[in-house]
Amino acid sequence: MKRKDRLWFGLFTMPLFLIFTTVVIIPFIIGIAYSFISWDGIPANPKVFVGLDNYVTIFHDQRFFTSAGNTIKFTLLALISVNLLGLTFSLLVTSGLRTSKLARTLFFMPNLIGGLILGYIWKFIFTDAFKFLGGQTGLDGIFFNWLINPNFALYALVIVFTWQMAGYTMIIYIAGLQGIPDELLEAAKVDGASLWHRLTKITFPLLMPSFTICFFMTLSGAFKIYDVNLSLTNGGPVHSTEMFAMNIFNEIFGYGHYGIGQAKAILFFLIVALVTLTQVVITKKKEVQM
Amino acid sequence: MKKTKKAFGFLATMVLIASLVACGGKTDNNSANSGADGSNTAAGTEKQAKISLFQSKVEIAGALEELANKYKEETGNEIDVWGSAGDSYITQLQAKMAANEGPTIFSIANGAEAEKFKSYYYDMSNEDYVKNIAPNMALEVDGKVVGVPTGVEGFGLVYNKSLVDPKDVTDLASFTKFMDSMKGQGINGLSLSQEAYFLIGHILNTPFAVQADPIDYIDKLNKGEVKMADTKEFQEFAKFMEVIRQDSVNPMEVTYDTQMGDFATGKTAMVHQGNWSYGMLADYDDLDIGMMPLPIAGNNKLSVDIPGGWVINNGAKPEEIKAANAFLNWLYNSETGKNTIINEFKFIPAMTNIEADGLDPLSQAVFEATKNGDTIPWANNYFPEGIIVNDLTPATAEFFLDAGMTGEQYLKNLDEAWARAAK
Amino acid sequence: MRRTSKAIASILLALLALIFLSPIYIMLVNSFKTRAELYNNALALPESFSLQYFESAMKKMNFLTVLGNSTFVTVLTVIFVVILSSMTAWMLVRTDNKLSKLMFMAFISTMLIPFQTLMMPLMQVMDWIRTNLHIPMLNTHGGLIFMNVGFHASIAVFLYHGFIKSIPIALEEAATLDGCSKFGVFWRIVFPMLKTITITVAILDVISTWNDYLLPSLTLSDKGLRTIQLSTFYFFGEFTIVWNQAMAGLTLTIIPVVIFYAVAQKYIIKGIAEGAVK
Repeated sequence: MKRKDRLWFGLFTMPLFLIFTTVVIIPFIIGIAYSFISWDGIPANPKVFVGLDNYVTIFHDQRFFTSAGNTIKFTLLALISVNLLGLTFSLLVTSGLRTSKLARTLFFMPNLIGGLILGYIWKFIFTDAFKFLGGQTGLDGIFFNWLINPNFALYALVIVFTWQMAGYTMIIYIAGLQGIPDELLEAAKVDGASLWHRLTKITFPLLMPSFTICFFMTLSGAFKIYDVNLSLTNGGPVHSTEMFAMNIFNEIFGYGHYGIGQAKAILFFLIVALVTLTQVVITKKKEVQM
Repeated sequence: MKKTKKAFGFLATMVLIASLVACGGKTDNNSANSGADGSNTAAGTEKQAKISLFQSKVEIAGALEELANKYKEETGNEIDVWGSAGDSYITQLQAKMAANEGPTIFSIANGAEAEKFKSYYYDMSNEDYVKNIAPNMALEVDGKVVGVPTGVEGFGLVYNKSLVDPKDVTDLASFTKFMDSMKGQGINGLSLSQEAYFLIGHILNTPFAVQADPIDYIDKLNKGEVKMADTKEFQEFAKFMEVIRQDSVNPMEVTYDTQMGDFATGKTAMVHQGNWSYGMLADYDDLDIGMMPLPIAGNNKLSVDIPGGWVINNGAKPEEIKAANAFLNWLYNSETGKNTIINEFKFIPAMTNIEADGLDPLSQAVFEATKNGDTIPWANNYFPEGIIVNDLTPATAEFFLDAGMTGEQYLKNLDEAWARAAK
Repeated sequence: MRRTSKAIASILLALLALIFLSPIYIMLVNSFKTRAELYNNALALPESFSLQYFESAMKKMNFLTVLGNSTFVTVLTVIFVVILSSMTAWMLVRTDNKLSKLMFMAFISTMLIPFQTLMMPLMQVMDWIRTNLHIPMLNTHGGLIFMNVGFHASIAVFLYHGFIKSIPIALEEAATLDGCSKFGVFWRIVFPMLKTITITVAILDVISTWNDYLLPSLTLSDKGLRTIQLSTFYFFGEFTIVWNQAMAGLTLTIIPVVIFYAVAQKYIIKGIAEGAVK
């Protein structure tokens, strides 16, 4: 029996796990090996083993820490705004309003536009539309070009990312909401529970698996953000929006410091994995088993 | 019953995997295409192996595919033209090289980039097409010709003839006066734009190129033996930048698109741009424009150089290298090839056997400067890898965003940025 | 009274959605403009609604071919992702041992690795497979699908994992007692109950496969193999974009996915697991 179970386990999981190992895990391990090597990324050029030198170099890299700080700030803001908006959307479009089907499609549309072009389109909004609005309404304290102000450019990035990801999380929240039995909510309603009570006492606890998933997806998406970063601000002005993935990319492909770039990736991976896995563990504990 | 189910499960899994593998197939680029059996076509040209070509200029991608079709019509040989968005070319090239999946012919920028990929170059020194390259225009590594120049490009002050007389902009004093008077008329005297090369990469070339030995100067800068802040050409450059910040629209607000739009509609008198920018004016009414030198430190020449060249991948199979040579010969010697270079690619030829006629006004200016020897080189090709985008641009952005920063401080910041990148 | 307030809420919801869509408006209007018009005002309606940029974009992109390529790659990727991930996730949920936990953690934690740091080693691994196992992983659709499945596995397993946990185990146990093999239990009992999440996974995976640029750009070189995203490179120069054609091309690329989404979302229906709860 035990043997048979193991066989089934293998049959069900190994095909995917083998593919996954080939494509993700092995390259990742090779990447770890590269982090101890000094190399410019050109296969024919020499690779020199330098031990921990690459890691030591990172600790003197002020710009790396700035970008790590930017990334953390960005991620926290994005985490809140994406999920708040995504959850609101999902509640709105499942509330049985006549336009909810249409809204469901429209809210999701931004997700269909790839990150690069998305950044370019928003550039028009921040430069042209904001200038226009500022001129028309006189509110030029709000409507100016956020992208060239080091204090605001990061928020611009948060807005664009939220606009893109909210629809994505909405889909997952909808799937979660659909799993909550109507009877529970109806019963609570009959018992006179207010909307807020029904949300916080029934819906949200039962939605915990969706929260876990959405938080994690937003986290990993925000930590890895690159395309929008590149096309919207390209890290500027004055490195104020250079995110972590861009910093690595520049190290590897801009300066040709392959080993240092890999070392940065490993270091950041360790930190981020620690943070996010803690988050997963915490939210998982709150999940209610049905 | 149980057994069959299990067998079925196993089978289904295998089918999944097998179909994954099976729907690959046929197009193994490196090993196929051995159709070089030496049969001759009517034109007497040899039947060559199929090769691939990869290049960074999106603007000529369509014309290049068209050229490949014509090449096939005329010679029967095939070229697969690969595509890539402009800013991801080098990354893709590097990744494909790492996978032994590289193209047969590829384009490479002069300077640091050419240096980086040098282990891949086939030595072209003895090939026919190399003989017609104009003096000093070949791409050379360690004394060997490894690349044919794609063409010549140049940049300087592109000006609107109805707003600017070149005689009025010849040194710092006259430049300042011109900028002030333009500002008085509500016109942007000189517009830079936020993209790294258009903000600082190109304009910084002039103080470098007017040094007695630019490459030696860069070398000393890398070693920390000289400082821009202590060099008088750079001190004057900083003064130019101060005037630009004071009198023109903040370059950080300007994109290449708006820069050229403002120029085309007369809101801007001059832009610091190259002959490539002529393409941006196509949708606007006709303009009378020209290109003149950026007069920093007495400079009276345009910055002209070869942006890069075609190289052949020495990792390709011998028959592919042979086919690549045949193609380059055809490109630079046949009427179709020469015609395409001038009229479709709109390149200024760097070959002695190709006549340049019907050039647009900016290319014409560059071409004439080249003929008369009135040019300074692109020293920025020899800057440390990645420095323009990663270090010099942020420092310059800071200068333009902070009206209180002096030119002196700006130069110090540039020196610091340089030291960081050159380590 | 209730009816009017509902109607008002409906209208407000629609308005909110429209505001949310304003960037898409910018994309659309600029697919009709010349460079001069766009420069003049990027927000205004175009002077004329001529489809010429759509036509030229389609021609340049070789639209039908790349549409076919993208559809092929996307459909196969999603089918494999759905089948393999749901099976894997189910086993991982129902098996309570160290190996199972370790595998789950491996799937999840690698979601945090930026692709940029994997791409060079990935290409080397693929080259190794091609050279030593003679399986053409590079410059083939099959290879791309294989890599897609690997990269999308994490998210799909994660999604399935979260939802399978909320399915009661009782039904499965009953079926096992009736003599069903694991395979039968999964496909007859479990998978049908996963319909909502399967549709969700499929939607999200269709989009990420369809929109991917970086991975196909590294693995596909031949012109004939290009996906729809790869074919838009013609419009993206180093410093400028051919706006009208790029926007037109982009509009063309998202239409198939919008249709797919509009159809698929109908199947996200309520109460799949409900009947099973009691």
